[in-house]
Amino acid sequence: MHMATVLTINGETKSFDAPPDMPLLWVLRDILGMTGTKFGCGIAQCGACTVHVDGKAVRSCVLPVSAVENRTITTIEHVGSTPAGAKVQKAWLEAEVVQCGYCQSGQIMSAAALLAATPNPDDSDIDAAMAGNICRCGTYVRIREAIKQAATGRQS
Amino acid sequence: MSGKMRILASLIVIAIVAVALGVFIIRGPGPLDFAGGKKVALADYRAGKPTGVPAKLEKASLIERGEYLAKAADCMVCHTKPGEKDYSGGLAFKLPFGTLYSTNITPDKDTGIGNYSDQDFLNAVQHGKRNDGARLYPAMPYTSYTFMTDEDVLAVKAYLFSLPAVRAKAPDNTLSFPFNQRWAMIFWSAVFNPDTRFAPDTSKSPEWNRGAYLAEALAHCGECHTPRNLGFALDNRKKFGGAITAGWRAFNISSDKATGLGNWRDEDLISYLSLGHAPGHGSASGPMGEAVDHSFSQFAPEDISSIVAYLRSVPPVPSPDLPATTAPAAPASHRDGVTADARGKKVFASACASCHGWSGESPVSPMATLTGTWAVNDPAATNVAQIVISGTKRHTPDGALPMPAFGNAYTDDEIAAVANYVTARFGTKGSKLTAKDVAELRQQTAE
Repeated sequence: MHMATVLTINGETKSFDAPPDMPLLWVLRDILGMTGTKFGCGIAQCGACTVHVDGKAVRSCVLPVSAVENRTITTIEHVGSTPAGAKVQKAWLEAEVVQCGYCQSGQIMSAAALLAATPNPDDSDIDAAMAGNICRCGTYVRIREAIKQAATGRQS
Repeated sequence: MSGKMRILASLIVIAIVAVALGVFIIRGPGPLDFAGGKKVALADYRAGKPTGVPAKLEKASLIERGEYLAKAADCMVCHTKPGEKDYSGGLAFKLPFGTLYSTNITPDKDTGIGNYSDQDFLNAVQHGKRNDGARLYPAMPYTSYTFMTDEDVLAVKAYLFSLPAVRAKAPDNTLSFPFNQRWAMIFWSAVFNPDTRFAPDTSKSPEWNRGAYLAEALAHCGECHTPRNLGFALDNRKKFGGAITAGWRAFNISSDKATGLGNWRDEDLISYLSLGHAPGHGSASGPMGEAVDHSFSQFAPEDISSIVAYLRSVPPVPSPDLPATTAPAAPASHRDGVTADARGKKVFASACASCHGWSGESPVSPMATLTGTWAVNDPAATNVAQIVISGTKRHTPDGALPMPAFGNAYTDDEIAAVANYVTARFGTKGSKLTAKDVAELRQQTAE
């Protein structure tokens, strides 16, 4: 029916059948069973579904799978193996960022992309990069702290 | 004749001359007058076949030919209310003087056009006359369709009559006086409907003539892209110079190099028309998006090329409010570039940056690149605000990146702020939209 789609996800080649306009998020969760990336709003407004495409943080819920063929995709399952992702995850644990946790995959993905591009972000950089990631529990203060901690390696 | 009578007669003559002159001046040239070559009747034109369907459909059934032509004339978009059955009418046209509703053109005998004879249908499409004798408002572009051949109009009828009859009565129009006086359209029509069939221009190529027929008689480009005159008819002195239609800006498609299509490459025009997107020129949205989805994307490739050839020949008309060149990409970091409108920046950071990037060159898809588009380079920000309100989704190519509608998520104030930020950061001159402007734009497109 459909042509097999081939994606490079977390360094592995994945081949599957999906309509070309299926959002990447659905492919990840429903076809490939990678449920670490969360569905939040479905309209790119909450950030829960954030993944990396070629190292940039993007919302997978509105991203048709055919738009990311031949691009490098990284998800929360694998971001810990990148230098910035590892630092972020460590700081996240140390700062006890997580409350309910639903938004946190997306928060960590956005934070990791930020640190990879801007190793020493100030508050305005954090605002610009993280504004699209919403946390209903209001962990923003700890998120900001953890990002700074990940950048400097120091607890503040 | 007495002295008084003579004066009266002179005054009447002067009045008639003044009215005739006024009509002549307001009406201006016809849509194809710019070409200037010798026109011949279609029957006498031997160089090519500008009318009808493309070669691959030449042998197709009447209904199939009618389907192609109905799509080329884009009947469906106006004659279908979103969510309702195709061609069953009821779409609202919000005009400054009230609301008009499109009619049901399915073959239903009570609420549609099931009782129309061939002549009735020709009268409606070419002359703006309903089968009960009432006049149509020119929201129905019969001043363009009048250029269609009888054969093509009747092929469209055959196609429409092959569709299922849908019982659906459009709401009554709510036009205010004097616009609710349909009979007055007799005079409007007498002045502004050329009421003539397409006549090929022998000084131009067959391809140009095909393009002229498609663009003028069928696709009716000018209805959105040509500014209107005092009589709300097309002002062909500024043919294809751009206009605001239904709350969206239809940009300049004349051959002007700076603000029209003069600098577009052929392949960009072909791509924009057939796919709704061209690299560096953005994506068709709003009414043009619909035109691509339902009409241009269905055109045969040679017909798209003919339209391009025709567009190239339309004399340049500059848009003085647009910059001579579009702005280059913005800086990659949020810190650099414009700092105006802190609130707009906040909204951009939360809602827009993940797809459009801080430079305006999308990290996700070329369809989401803002750099180089007229929308962000228009200091009025009309289309930026509209796309934010209603979003956009193309159906071609497969997996085209859609933009969600933010109209219900953000207030008028926030949408004005983000539009002002976006035009300042990615365009040449920031807009100065207010919440009130955004409220008005919502009004014009509200369905």
